[in-house]
Amino acid sequence: MPRRSFKRDVVHRWEGNPAITIDDVPFPCLDIRDAGVAKVGDKYILLLTIEALDGQTAIYRAESEDGQRFEIAPSPAIEASHHGESGTYESIGVEDARITFLDGAYYVIYTANSPLGFRLAIAKTADFKTFERMGHISQPDTKHGVLFPERIDGRYARLDRPREGGAIWISYSNDLKYWGNMHFVMGPRGGFWDNSRVGPGTPPMRVDEGWLIIYYGIRETSAGPLFRLGAAVLDGEHPHEVIGRADVPILSPRERYERIGDLGNLVFTCGGVIEDGRLLLYYGGGDSCICVGTAPVAQLVERCFSGEER
Amino acid sequence: MARRRSRDILHRWEGNPILTGDDIPFPCNTVFNGAPVRIDDHYLLLLRVEGREGYSVLALARSDDGLHFEVEPEPVMTPAKEGPFHSAEMHGVEDPRVAFLEDWYYITYTAFGDCGPRIALARTKDFEDFERIAIISEPGNKDAVLFPRKIGGRYARLDRPYGHGIGNIWISWSKDLVHWGDSRVILGVRHGFWDNDRVGASAVPIETEDGWLELYHGVKMTSGGPIYRLGAAILDRDDPAKVLCRADIPILTPREEYERIGDIPNVCFASGAILEPSGEIKVYYGAADTSICVATARLETLIERCKLR
Repeated sequence: MPRRSFKRDVVHRWEGNPAITIDDVPFPCLDIRDAGVAKVGDKYILLLTIEALDGQTAIYRAESEDGQRFEIAPSPAIEASHHGESGTYESIGVEDARITFLDGAYYVIYTANSPLGFRLAIAKTADFKTFERMGHISQPDTKHGVLFPERIDGRYARLDRPREGGAIWISYSNDLKYWGNMHFVMGPRGGFWDNSRVGPGTPPMRVDEGWLIIYYGIRETSAGPLFRLGAAVLDGEHPHEVIGRADVPILSPRERYERIGDLGNLVFTCGGVIEDGRLLLYYGGGDSCICVGTAPVAQLVERCFSGEER
Repeated sequence: MARRRSRDILHRWEGNPILTGDDIPFPCNTVFNGAPVRIDDHYLLLLRVEGREGYSVLALARSDDGLHFEVEPEPVMTPAKEGPFHSAEMHGVEDPRVAFLEDWYYITYTAFGDCGPRIALARTKDFEDFERIAIISEPGNKDAVLFPRKIGGRYARLDRPYGHGIGNIWISWSKDLVHWGDSRVILGVRHGFWDNDRVGASAVPIETEDGWLELYHGVKMTSGGPIYRLGAAILDRDDPAKVLCRADIPILTPREEYERIGDIPNVCFASGAILEPSGEIKVYYGAADTSICVATARLETLIERCKLR
């Protein structure tokens, strides 16, 4: 079969994709998806969502020396609490961890799922072995929280995706517990590839122009949703202002491992690492594997400021 | 033929409805969901008036007896035309609730914007000048009531977010009325009951010796659409996240023509109540999203019904 060309995508796929599949999980499970990432010293650390055979989700740590071949820990890093106050909100599981390094600690925002809906929760860790849970920080149905790696004007800031409206919002906090000053950031674009719903993917990354975010966008089709990845730049000081947004996706499902899975036609990210001006992006394919892609940061940013405005 | 009304715990005033669109001195579609305030011997109702364009404004009505109201000639709050509240309110300001707290009348209302409903907070001393404080929720949330005092040093509110398509009553806490957290569900839908589909806070909680009396609305979904009824529960005085008891039956159910017929038929939707010195509670409710009505009960009757097992 002739090699296909993917010049249409800004993100370049690693030829060893998928990097992690269900076969790499050291125990039986239903599915693996959505990895947040941090580079700690020379090591790459992923926090993966693994769906157990009974449908419950939990967050597992995976480690790698080269960022491509990972070893998954046999027991969860963050698992659903099944008793007390937090048990009420995590009875279906915890998922979609996003990692931010801030003030000398790693913060993880993840989604707690229960019959009451999706809520955001936050935890803190120094070593990715023990996690201090700091509580739930949204009401339902809010998902996809990402913490900014710097304070904005003295306050913590996060992006998230409340269900109503399917858009990206920003909130601020003095203490990571009480949140307010919510503001709309960006929403779906009529007629575009992201016309149905958008949500944060990676935590915001500082670039010269402001904050680069990789987000997911959905086009609802008669056969179901098409999940793609896009890029935008937010103002450095007023991050609710979008100063650039790529007109085209930076990655679209094309490979078999992106087309086929529990949720086919999906690429979805919870994190990336910038190394030497290059974004190393970890993304889920088909909701059933973890893949690696790369793109020069300058090219992503440039894409956000070029193209047609409609 | 005399109609049977004894099935409802609240007693309807025979002069109902007390306000309809005909009583509004400016052109409108309907008036409904009014929040009452008693200041000495005067009663105020902050009204939701839906304009003919389809978006709502807040108007003010005044009364000396709490039953006969006169509406002021101009709305007192209209969607912000500029500034940070503009995008949040561009499709209307709705369903106010008024809590008196620290010498201010605080108004929680629904700001309807591009992305859906959000909870907004404003305050006034005189019902002439209104100061907007903040929008205090993400979209998809409404029916917020502020507790009329701090509890354990913090402000508290009830509201109604949506999770997996189910609307329950939640409590949230704040130190500054702007940043909110520590949210948890306190009162949910009951399967098989009259409030099996959606519940939301209706009246600002009334403090009693037995706890906070909360009048809430419960929705049952039918093939013909929703039925909105009124229920009651008592929350712990020091820890209102704790529901002490909850009436098994509604305290008011749409039965009268003005509750059955209107833009949204089969709706009794309270947005406030006044506890009179006599021990009588006056509940103000929107009927069929088309008028405002009053119904009354003795405080102890409501509390007994909540406690009844």
